[in-house]
Amino acid sequence: MGAEQAYLLAAVPAGMFLVLALFGRYMPRGGDFLGVLAIGTSFVLFFFVLVDFLDFYNFEEHHVAITKTIEWARIGPPGGGWDLRFGTYVDPMTIVMFGVITSVALMVNIFSIGYMKNEPRYWWFFAVLQLFAASMLMLVMADNLLLLLISWELVGVCSFLLIGFYWEKRSATEAAKKAFITTRTGDVGLMIGIILLYREAGTFNIQEIIHMAEAGEIGGTSLFVTMAFLFLGAMGKSAQVPFHVWLPDAMEGPTPVSALIHAATMVVAGVYLTARMLPVYAEADGMLLIITLVGLTTALVTGFIAITQTDIKKVLAYSTVGQLGFMFVALGTGHPTAAMFHLMTHAFFKALLFLGSGSVIHATHHHQEMDDLGGLWKKMPITGTTFLIGCVALSGLAPLAGFWSKDEIFAETLDKWGWTVIPLGIAAIFTAFYSTRLFIRTFMGQPRNKHVYEHTHESNALMTGPLLFLAALALVSGFFVFDGVAEAIGFPGGIGAFVFSHEPHHFGLGDIDWPLAAASTGMSIVGIFFGAWLYWGNRLAKSTRIAEAQPGVYQLLKNKFYFDELYQWFIDKAVLGFSFLTSWFDRYVVNDTGVDGSAQLTGYTGSVLKYIQTGRLPNYAMGIALGVLTLALAGLAVRG
Amino acid sequence: MTFDEGQGYVVLATLLAPLVAMTILLFVPGDRKDVVRYVSGFFGAVMLALSIYIFVAFQFGDGASSIQMQLRWDWIENTAFLGEDGIQLYLGVDGISAAMALLTGIVAFAGTLAASKLDYRTKDFFILYWALVGGVYGTFFALDLFFFFFFYELAVMPLYLLIGVWGSTRKEYGAMKLTLMLVAGSVLIWVGIFATVHEAGLGTFNMPALWAAGQDGTLDPTFQKTFFPFFVIGCGVLAALWPFHTWSPDGHMSAPTAVSMVHAGVLMKLGAFGIIRLGIQMLPEGAEFWMPGLMVLGTIGAVYGAVAALTQRDFKLISGYSSVSHMGYVLMGLATMNSIGITGAVMQMFSHGVMTALVFLMIGALYDQAHTRDLKDFGGLGKVMPMWVVFYTIAGLANVGLPGLSGFTAEFHIFVGTFKTYPLFGGLAVFAAALAAAYMLRMFSIVFFGPFNPRWSDLKDLTPLERMSGALLIGSIVIMGVWWAPFVDRIGFSVEQLPRMVS
Repeated sequence: MGAEQAYLLAAVPAGMFLVLALFGRYMPRGGDFLGVLAIGTSFVLFFFVLVDFLDFYNFEEHHVAITKTIEWARIGPPGGGWDLRFGTYVDPMTIVMFGVITSVALMVNIFSIGYMKNEPRYWWFFAVLQLFAASMLMLVMADNLLLLLISWELVGVCSFLLIGFYWEKRSATEAAKKAFITTRTGDVGLMIGIILLYREAGTFNIQEIIHMAEAGEIGGTSLFVTMAFLFLGAMGKSAQVPFHVWLPDAMEGPTPVSALIHAATMVVAGVYLTARMLPVYAEADGMLLIITLVGLTTALVTGFIAITQTDIKKVLAYSTVGQLGFMFVALGTGHPTAAMFHLMTHAFFKALLFLGSGSVIHATHHHQEMDDLGGLWKKMPITGTTFLIGCVALSGLAPLAGFWSKDEIFAETLDKWGWTVIPLGIAAIFTAFYSTRLFIRTFMGQPRNKHVYEHTHESNALMTGPLLFLAALALVSGFFVFDGVAEAIGFPGGIGAFVFSHEPHHFGLGDIDWPLAAASTGMSIVGIFFGAWLYWGNRLAKSTRIAEAQPGVYQLLKNKFYFDELYQWFIDKAVLGFSFLTSWFDRYVVNDTGVDGSAQLTGYTGSVLKYIQTGRLPNYAMGIALGVLTLALAGLAVRG
Repeated sequence: MTFDEGQGYVVLATLLAPLVAMTILLFVPGDRKDVVRYVSGFFGAVMLALSIYIFVAFQFGDGASSIQMQLRWDWIENTAFLGEDGIQLYLGVDGISAAMALLTGIVAFAGTLAASKLDYRTKDFFILYWALVGGVYGTFFALDLFFFFFFYELAVMPLYLLIGVWGSTRKEYGAMKLTLMLVAGSVLIWVGIFATVHEAGLGTFNMPALWAAGQDGTLDPTFQKTFFPFFVIGCGVLAALWPFHTWSPDGHMSAPTAVSMVHAGVLMKLGAFGIIRLGIQMLPEGAEFWMPGLMVLGTIGAVYGAVAALTQRDFKLISGYSSVSHMGYVLMGLATMNSIGITGAVMQMFSHGVMTALVFLMIGALYDQAHTRDLKDFGGLGKVMPMWVVFYTIAGLANVGLPGLSGFTAEFHIFVGTFKTYPLFGGLAVFAAALAAAYMLRMFSIVFFGPFNPRWSDLKDLTPLERMSGALLIGSIVIMGVWWAPFVDRIGFSVEQLPRMVS
């Protein structure tokens, strides 16, 4: 099979979803092995697609994408009116996403066999994971915006189902609802954006739209408005401020889900879409600046919030939002390279961190508050070590994956928007700081809860295996940035040239911008130093003093800048109030006054008129006489 | 006999099936409820099969004629004001009515299955039920104004008894209001029909002849502009046109399960269908003049229904208001006057039909056991009724417009059509679709999930017949959501031939 059959990557898990959803409950082990088999097949197929694509790929001769489309629905003559074609579009960006999705999904499936053991509705969990993988793969290979929108909503509903997996818990249900409605609010923008683009360009096909934008056939204010709407969808899905509130709550879902959906794949869909449409954004004047500002705000706000959170998954959630902010800042430069690179490395180390936290939560029997943890490294050496690798990669310390991609982001933004380097640097320092805090408070020093500590044990191989695999990727995936390394494993001209054929971007050891790299490392060291200084040995004395010295700031951060309270107030007062008002209007004005009122008026008229019918002969005789007289007079008047 | 004529007898058979079922039931003793159920089930299945045949056999593409499967029997002609072809039993289908016939077959059969557990006056119920279904088929197939109106009334009248006798929650009020409002609408339609026949001066009720008259100027523009509102408001009442929608929440609240299913599923579509047949096809000038007004009312309905549904506490009121919202989309689609928008509107008629039928089936399955429909009484029902929750969730997500289910397909076409000429209204409609997510998910989280309320521990999950009925509806929802080409082909083919269509 070749890249033209890339749809099989999605079709296999999609078929397995049907099998598991209908029959999973009757199967031994809930059919989990079938789930792993389906995702594993996709993972293997990915390599077939990759090899086939590398054979075909040649940038100089413009062999940059393999496409295949079929007619889906049509009104009127072919090519005219409404002619909808669906297809797949495989280019280097798709290939990267394929690799990230299939590898992380496979690891998460394997991990879940250990983690979800003995949970109720075990089979259903695996069924939905298949549906998610299929939709996510379809999303990244869709050649048109309508198919993309369909997959986009499907991954959203999988996220909804999995966040609410423990639906007996009220908090899980509420979190699922919040996630769905918040992203759906962004999707209003996405849908409007897609339809407006269709209105302007007359097609849903992404490449055709890009060509038209580059040729200047669409542009101006209307394109700006359109792309702004489209970007709202990306913000909602990728949890950018002010839509970020759903992602931390989404941690109510089982931890493997957080790793797959809410760290590595679904939440980067917004980054992917923006990267995919970046040539069009570049034509819409001002959008790049907006993208940069949104990303920057998010990176800063969530970096601040993360330092006060004590739930390990919440820290990671805010960290994810912040890193997505970094990616948007990178996209704001107009070049997708750095953003996609960071997307890839982040997917590996953040999935690692989430699975690591899952290993901790599983081992401690569902304790995820830092105040209950500490000193776990001795008890859980593999989890502890791999978690450390993840934290260092997140901090951006050389030579791990996070360093290289973050360095790329700095290099790119320095070229385009120089002033952003300072706020971005602050965000990077905070990242290093909370990573250090997270690791020390979970794995080092004295355990804060002896009871939990004593019952803790290292997780089994089904869970540590994926950790080791992802840790290896977190260690080495950064080196793909070197042309030599990438060429050695078969990517012509290095990953920069390969992934972004629009902008060949060569990078070798000799091209490293040493001062920038030093500055970037310096920021990480500053953050790590402060983290270690405050929390070394899991002692809280210093940090408590700081919190007490600035109670206002501490409360502001602890309460996440009161975003949730503000939204709740708006929903309760404005939205529901408006709804009550409408219901009242419908009941009392439209129905009781308008509809029933006209019925009552009829009845009332009848009750008045009935007095004419007295039943007395003289009255009727009088009526007849008056009638005759009136007619006679009228006749006289008319005839003259 | 030509092939087309032969197919015409299939159409006639489809129309007669419910009426024959009704007649047979008249002679079945009232205490033989099993016989009543078997007869009804049999005829329901026959109707479904015939409807599927009509839908599949409908030809589209180059060279296909616009009206197929015709059957014409003279009824009354050359007397009084009637000339040649005065009144005929004239049946036939186009792509729009083929889709509607399929919808009727699916929903009527699903409703039969759901009503089989009804125990009070079963025979009488089914006699009225089949009269209603016969009226619905007749309206979709009729190509003669007289019979169009005849069947339209035949479909509306049995509702009064069906709700008044078998209903619940203020049933007399609901039945009375519904019937009076719909009959008031009928009066407007009847006046409009007579005015049109008189104005055209052809001495015939033949609809294709009158459509031609509407397009070639025999019906002059002033006349068309004057009488278009008669048809739109008259039919609009049945399609829950704002502000003539209030029968919908109350009527649905009172109606028994199967009646709610057929009523919301099919009957409301008669209104929108009437707007196409009588308004757009017969009075195109009037349509062009008044459509912006219909767009405004449709958008108000779409947003208003969604907003009002947000805070309701009764299942059926939520669905009643959400029907107002979704029928608002249908009216918006019709008002676009372009082929994508109107195709979307007809698809939405189908989509709303099957998903609302499923919703009411589920509400009935719960209400029959629990005897309350207040959301706040429930919680964690997923524990005792898992299958019910799954079915209801699928119906709800179709309501929300989730891709892969029919609601998305239909709404997307409507949105694209609306944005072509009315971007602002299109934006509002997309926003209302997001509100749908809010009111559906609110209901899910209150009723299905959360801590289990032990008061409901002896609730039973769906019965086999309810599962069958639900599976049929879910199948239709998924097919239209995933592979909508068969629908777009047939509907689009006929919509392109409507007068004054912009493609």
